[in-house]
Amino acid sequence: MSSLMKAPANTPVWVSEERCKACDKCVAVCPAGVLAMRPDPQTVLGAMIEVVTPEACIGCNECELTCPDFAIYVADKKEFKFARLTDQAKARAEAIAANNYMKLA
Amino acid sequence: MAFNYDKYLRTSKMPTLWCWGCGDGVILKSFIRAVDKLGWDKNDIALVSGIGCSGRFSSYVDMNTVHTTHGRTVAFATGIKLANPDKHVVCVAGDGDGLAIGGNHTIHGARRNIDITLILIQNFIYGLTNSQTSPTTPRGFWTVTQKVGNIDPTFDGCKLVEAAGASFVARESVTQPRKLEKVLVAALKHKGFSYVEALSNCHINLGRKNKMGSAMANLEWIDSISMPKKKWEALPEEERMNYLPTGILKQDEEAPEYCEMYEEVKKAHQGKRGKITQDDFAKKI
Repeated sequence: MSSLMKAPANTPVWVSEERCKACDKCVAVCPAGVLAMRPDPQTVLGAMIEVVTPEACIGCNECELTCPDFAIYVADKKEFKFARLTDQAKARAEAIAANNYMKLA
Repeated sequence: MAFNYDKYLRTSKMPTLWCWGCGDGVILKSFIRAVDKLGWDKNDIALVSGIGCSGRFSSYVDMNTVHTTHGRTVAFATGIKLANPDKHVVCVAGDGDGLAIGGNHTIHGARRNIDITLILIQNFIYGLTNSQTSPTTPRGFWTVTQKVGNIDPTFDGCKLVEAAGASFVARESVTQPRKLEKVLVAALKHKGFSYVEALSNCHINLGRKNKMGSAMANLEWIDSISMPKKKWEALPEEERMNYLPTGILKQDEEAPEYCEMYEEVKKAHQGKRGKITQDDFAKKI
C-alpha cells in the first residue's frame, strides 16, 4: 500500500523530536518501559521523548495510536522481531511512571 | 514499514497548534487510519469544520477542506453533499460548536438523514475560549462562567440525534483508539447521517481546575464515566444515567437517504416521473 513508509533499519520504535510536545501519553501507555522523558530545557515543557530501551519493545503499537502529534512510529510486526513482555520490563514501566514519566537515572 | 500519516496531512502545518496531549490529535489520527482502511482517495473527501479547537482539523488534513462559521458545519456540508452527491462529506465539530451554537443545524441534518458523517469531539467544555460552560459540562464542575460549580443539566448528544432521525449513532473515547478507528470506518461507510461522538480530553481548560491537570488524569476520568454498551445495558436503571455507553448505539441501513430522494425531486421537475406523494415513503408522518 502506498500509505506506508520505510522504517529505519533494525529499529522497533522511533520518534520525531520536531513534533513531540512531551505530553507523557506514550510513556504512560507503554507496558514495557521502552519510552521515557529526558530533561530538555529547550522545549516548552522542559522534557523530550526518548526511546530508552528499544530492545524491550513488544510492538503493541499503543504509543503510536495514542500520540496526538504524529511524533512516534512503530515498525511492522511482519518485519521486525519484537521482544516478549517480561516482568522486568513491567517493573521498569511502573518505575518510570512513578518517576513522573522521566528517564530513570 | 510503518503507517505514513503524512500522506493525508499538510505537513507544513505541523506540529499542530493543539496543546500537548490533546485528544483531537488522536481523533485526527484515527480518522486518517479509517480513511486509509476504506481505501478512499483523499481528493474525494470534503472535510468541513467550524470554530473551536476542532476547527483546526480542516487546516491539517490534505483533503478538500472548508473552515466555516461557528456551528454551521452541517449546514455547509449539506450544501456540499447536495451539489456533489458522489463525494464523501465529513463534518468535524466540538460539543459547543455542534450542540450549542450549531445545535439546530445538527438536529436538522440528522432529521433529513443526509449522507454526512459528523464527528463530534466531546471534551465537556469550551476549550478554545478558555473554559466556559458547554451543554455537556457535568454538573458541579468548575467553569469560568460558573466558578462555584456548574448547575446546568447536560445534553446527551447521541440521544438527541437519534431522536432527530440520524441513522447511525456511535460513541467512543480517545482512550480506545483502535475501537474509535473501527467505529469511524463503520460511520464513514454508512449511507445516511452518521454521528460519532468522540469523548476527548481537555486537561488544560477543563482538567486543571477540576483536579485532573494532566492528560492521563483526564483520560482516567473519561474511562470512569464511560463503558461499553453491553456493560451499560446490564446496569440497573438508576445507575445508567451516571455513565455514557460507548460503541455503535444505532445503525439503520434501511432509512431513506436525502440525496437519493432529492434525485426523485429532480426527476419530477424534469417530467420524468409524477409528483412525489405519500406512497413514496414507508414512514408517512
